[in-house]
Amino acid sequence: MFFQNVGQWAHFVRLCFHLLVSHGISGREFKKQLLRVGIQSIPLTCAAGFFVGAILAIQIDSQIRDFGAQSYLGGISVSTTLRNLGPVLIAFFLAGRVGAFTSAELGTMSITDQLNAIRCLGLNPIREIVIPRLLAVAVSSIVLLLMGLLMSVFGGISIASIGLKVNPLQFVHRVPEFLAVSSMVLALIKSIIFGLMIGSVSCFIGVHISGGAEEVGGGVRRTAVVLVVGIIILDFMISWMGSQFVGLSQW
Amino acid sequence: MSFLNYLSELCAPFKLLVLSIGQFSLKPKLRGGEILKQCYEGAVLSAPMVLFSISIVSLMGVLEFSWHMMKVMHEDALVPAFSLVLTIRELAPVVTAMLLASRLGAAIAAEIGIMKNSEQLDQLQLLGVSVVDFLILPRWVGCLLASLSLTLLGIVVAVLVSSQLASYGLGYQAQEFYNALFVLARGQDLVGALVKAVLFGTTIPFVAAASGLACKSGSRGIGQAATQAVVKSSLWIIILDFLVNSLLWIS
Repeated sequence: MFFQNVGQWAHFVRLCFHLLVSHGISGREFKKQLLRVGIQSIPLTCAAGFFVGAILAIQIDSQIRDFGAQSYLGGISVSTTLRNLGPVLIAFFLAGRVGAFTSAELGTMSITDQLNAIRCLGLNPIREIVIPRLLAVAVSSIVLLLMGLLMSVFGGISIASIGLKVNPLQFVHRVPEFLAVSSMVLALIKSIIFGLMIGSVSCFIGVHISGGAEEVGGGVRRTAVVLVVGIIILDFMISWMGSQFVGLSQW
Repeated sequence: MSFLNYLSELCAPFKLLVLSIGQFSLKPKLRGGEILKQCYEGAVLSAPMVLFSISIVSLMGVLEFSWHMMKVMHEDALVPAFSLVLTIRELAPVVTAMLLASRLGAAIAAEIGIMKNSEQLDQLQLLGVSVVDFLILPRWVGCLLASLSLTLLGIVVAVLVSSQLASYGLGYQAQEFYNALFVLARGQDLVGALVKAVLFGTTIPFVAAASGLACKSGSRGIGQAATQAVVKSSLWIIILDFLVNSLLWIS
C-alpha cells in the first residue's frame, strides 16, 4: 500500500512536469496562488522562525555555558539552526500552513465536482488548477523557509542579548568561523527539496480526495502526517549524503 | 484578517480550557470507554510513526554535534552527552507534539466540525449531554497520555537507536551514550521534557476542538477547520516551547 501510494505520487509528479514543459502554466492563476499562499504566510512564518532561533540559542547556551565556551554561542547556534533543526522545525510549520491548506482547498474542489466541471469545459484541471498551485506552493515554501531561517538568526541574536546577556557583536563575531559554505548550501538544498515535497504531496493528496466532507478532514490529516514524517526522513538523507560527499570532518 | 482578530482567535482555546475545567470541577463525569478509545487512537496508533521520527532526529543531533564539537574542542568525547541532552529536552517532546498535532489535531477538528455541521452537537444539547464531557474531555485525556507516554518512550528508543547506529556508523561506543545519561543529563532535563509534554498534550486537543466548534458550513469549512487546527497547534507548540525553555534554562 505504501509503495503503491509512492508510485502514484511519482506518476503524478511526472505528469505535472510533462504538462508544465509542454503547455506552460496560467500566469494569472500562479500569481493569485502565490499571493494567497505565500505572501499571506509571511508574518506567521517569520514569527515561527524567530522563536525557533531563540529556542535553539537557549538550548545550546545551557549546554556550552558550563564548559566556558559561551563565546562560541553565536557560531554554534546559527550553524546548527541553519544546517539542520531550523529547516526541519520551520518546514513542520509550513506543512500545516501551506501544505494542509492547499490539500484542503483541492480536496473541496474535488468533492464538489469543480474539477469535473473544468473537464466538461474541455480543459485539463491538472494544468489549469493543480500545476499553478503546485508551483506556487513550492516556490512559496522555498522562499518562506529561507525567510524563516533568516528570522531565526535574528531570534538567536535577540534572546542572546536580552536573556543570555551575550553581547550581540560577540554573538555575531564567531558566525563566519562556523558557518561554512557547505552549511549554507545544505540549508538551500533542504529548503528547495522541502518546498518541492510540500507542493507535490499536498496537491497529490488533495486531488485524490473523494467522498464527502469527512474525507476532506482525513485528507488534511494525511497530508500533515506524510509531510512531517517525509521532512524528517529527507532531512536525514540529505545530511547523510552531504557528509558522505564532502567528508564528515569538513562538511 | 487584522492582527488583533487573529490573536483573539489564537487565544480561543483558553476559553474552552477554562470552561472545561470549570464544568469538570462542578460536575465531574468521566466516560471511561470513550477515554480508553481516545488513548488507543492517540498513543497506540501514533506510536510507530512517532518513535521512528524521534530516532531519526536524535541520530541527526549526533551528526551535527560531532561536526561542531570537532570544530570547537577538537575532540568528540562529549558528543553523545550533548546530543542525548538535546533529545531529552527538545527533540523528543517537540517532534512528538508536531506529529500528534498533525494526526490528532486535524482528526479532532474535522470530527467536531462534521458533528456541528450535521447538527449532532445540537442534538446532544437537547438530550442534556454536555459537549465538554462527551467530546472534549476524553480527547484531552487521550492526547495528554499520548504526549506523555510517547515522549518518555521516544527518549528511551532514541537513546537505544542512536547509540547503536552511532556505534556502527560514526565510531562511537554505545556505552558512551548510556554513561552520558548519568553524567550530563539531569533531573531538570526530564522534568522539562515532561512539562512540555503536558503543555503540548493539553494545547493540541483544545486548539483542535476550538477550531472544530468554530467550523463554517460545508466541506470547505471542514477543510479549513482541520487546517487551522494544525497551523495553530504548531504555532502554540513553538511559542510554549520557547516559554518553557526561557523559564527553565535561562539562568
